[in-house]
Amino acid sequence: MPTDANAGKPYYRPEDISGIDYATDLNDPGAYPYTRGRRTQPRHDANSWILRELSGEGSPAHSNRQFRDLIARGAVGLDVIGDAPSVGCLDPDHPFARAAVGTQGVSICRLQDFIELYEGIPLDRITLSHSLPSWFTVACLYLLARNHEVAPGALRGSVIQAPLYGEDYCYAVHMPVELRLRLTLDSIEFCTREMPRFHSFVEDTYFVSDGGPDVVDEMALGFVEIRKVVRELMKRGLNIDSFGPRIAILVNCRMGFFEEIAKIRASRRIFARMMREEFGAKDSRSWSANITAHTAGSALTAQQPANNVVRGAVQAVALALAGVQAMEISTFDEAYRTPSREAHLLALRTQQIVGLETDCSKVADPLGGSYYVESLTNKVERRIADRIHEIEALGDPVDLSNRGYFRRLLEQAMITRAAEIQNGSVAKVGVNVCQIPEEEDTMLREVVETKIEPCLDHIERIREFKRTRDQARVRSTLTEIRSRAADPKESLIVPAISALAADATIGEISGAMRMAYGMRYDPLSGTPAPF
Amino acid sequence: MEAEARNGKRVRVLIAILGLDQHETGALAVSAMLRDAGVEVIYLGRFASPESVAAAAVEESADVVGISCHSWEYIHYLDDLLRALERGGERIPLMIGGSVISPSDKARLLEKGVSAVFGAGTSSDDIVATVRKLAGAFGS
Repeated sequence: MPTDANAGKPYYRPEDISGIDYATDLNDPGAYPYTRGRRTQPRHDANSWILRELSGEGSPAHSNRQFRDLIARGAVGLDVIGDAPSVGCLDPDHPFARAAVGTQGVSICRLQDFIELYEGIPLDRITLSHSLPSWFTVACLYLLARNHEVAPGALRGSVIQAPLYGEDYCYAVHMPVELRLRLTLDSIEFCTREMPRFHSFVEDTYFVSDGGPDVVDEMALGFVEIRKVVRELMKRGLNIDSFGPRIAILVNCRMGFFEEIAKIRASRRIFARMMREEFGAKDSRSWSANITAHTAGSALTAQQPANNVVRGAVQAVALALAGVQAMEISTFDEAYRTPSREAHLLALRTQQIVGLETDCSKVADPLGGSYYVESLTNKVERRIADRIHEIEALGDPVDLSNRGYFRRLLEQAMITRAAEIQNGSVAKVGVNVCQIPEEEDTMLREVVETKIEPCLDHIERIREFKRTRDQARVRSTLTEIRSRAADPKESLIVPAISALAADATIGEISGAMRMAYGMRYDPLSGTPAPF
Repeated sequence: MEAEARNGKRVRVLIAILGLDQHETGALAVSAMLRDAGVEVIYLGRFASPESVAAAAVEESADVVGISCHSWEYIHYLDDLLRALERGGERIPLMIGGSVISPSDKARLLEKGVSAVFGAGTSSDDIVATVRKLAGAFGS
């Protein structure tokens, strides 16, 4: 167990939950404070939750084929991840991108890429989730909907927001925290008006905790960020109920089976009370958190990769019992690569077996009332609440970010997690217990070790595109972005939409924004601004 | 116990991640483990290039350079990095580690001139001992 939440007792008894008042602390599923879930009635069918798998690889056209394959096999949502350059707001022709274009996600830097990515995908039926910079995703989807003659208001899906922690941990976009937060607020505000069905505010506690923070810090960091963003949006004059129903939390699910379930139940209760009591939300849809989950990639091992199939199944059962709105299983080849076709199929089938063959989702919150689970839910809730208070007492999260507080916290957590495996205090089958000699570790090897080559022809395509577009128009929209970004009162989404429509790219628009904040256009390799 | 290089000074290791790979757990964990063993670690971190690694290695008088990888980007940078680490007829020893490295990758890397390769599940004792050995041999 990564935390001591389970420590202490050999079993639990009625007195362990004697303080619980059913009506105020639990209540029925679908009722405040939503501890037992959002829905009154579970759906014991292929739609128990949104089945999706992380996807995106190579060029947009190649990823499109991957998407069609997943949909044909039963996925009802897509979760698109950009490659390393795209998530870092860099174009494929950036000097650092050459080795990474399309290898860990889809290469996507312009409107045309979005058009190719979603070619033939029914935008009003499939939910589109994105691990990509939010302002870019929102602006491109808005234009794409128009291109497909779908009203932007009909688009469903989501995009992750990572304003406070992304730079310190896995999603650096080489921008200051003030700009990152502004882009988060701008994109949510824009969607509240123009794309009201789209979840523009996914608090992603998955990425911030995978391989690092435990369940308590995962959720405390998540809530600190949610609370900061909510307060800032309210300062802008937005009514909490205009965006509250579209907040989702994308959580991690490690191997601490009951602890993860307790975490999800506790988080729903914290969220409901926070939204109603503290922020004054009146609409009941603002009180019940949308919880989606990824199973922990860091729980998976490079050794004996077939074991990861089992880990994914155990985690999927935990998530089904906790009751989540969408699920995604990190695939068995995770330690080596983004999902192969074989791994995608197994992950989808795992979800389908749990959803359709077992009775895990036959009733809502089947573990509700368990002495252990309720006691653990209380304990985890208390610890998360204490930790939120502790962090917020240290100062404004933007200042904490600038002072390196989050970076130090995340660094220390990564070191601690790795040490637990090294010193054997946390058992990891195939790694520190139950090992087999390397030469016997052959099952599924050929799949996991197949490498994805960088998509060099896509780099050439983008170079050619940049050579042949209307340069004057690109320069003028980038100049406009820089001047709008220099005025903190301006929203950046509409200018970004104009720039993308004028064939400017994610790297160029980001560079123009950076310059307005006193940074270099290209902080990594010093390429001069093209305008 | 402090790890000593051949010249009697504390062993200095530069740790970096090449390109756009943003997974840092391995790099940070190895840095912490080396520090615990008395090695001086210069943590260059993410977004390094062969040139920035080599420049920092010289500037910091590193005895060993360690590259952590969670993507295949290192393959693309390897030849340039090996070249950049050459100084006056010898090369600063290079070690590469990461769970993405398979046994067949390991053989290829050693053949190219990488001094040590650590795949998934390497023990901290192995890593510390290798660093000491490489640092002791370098500069002799």
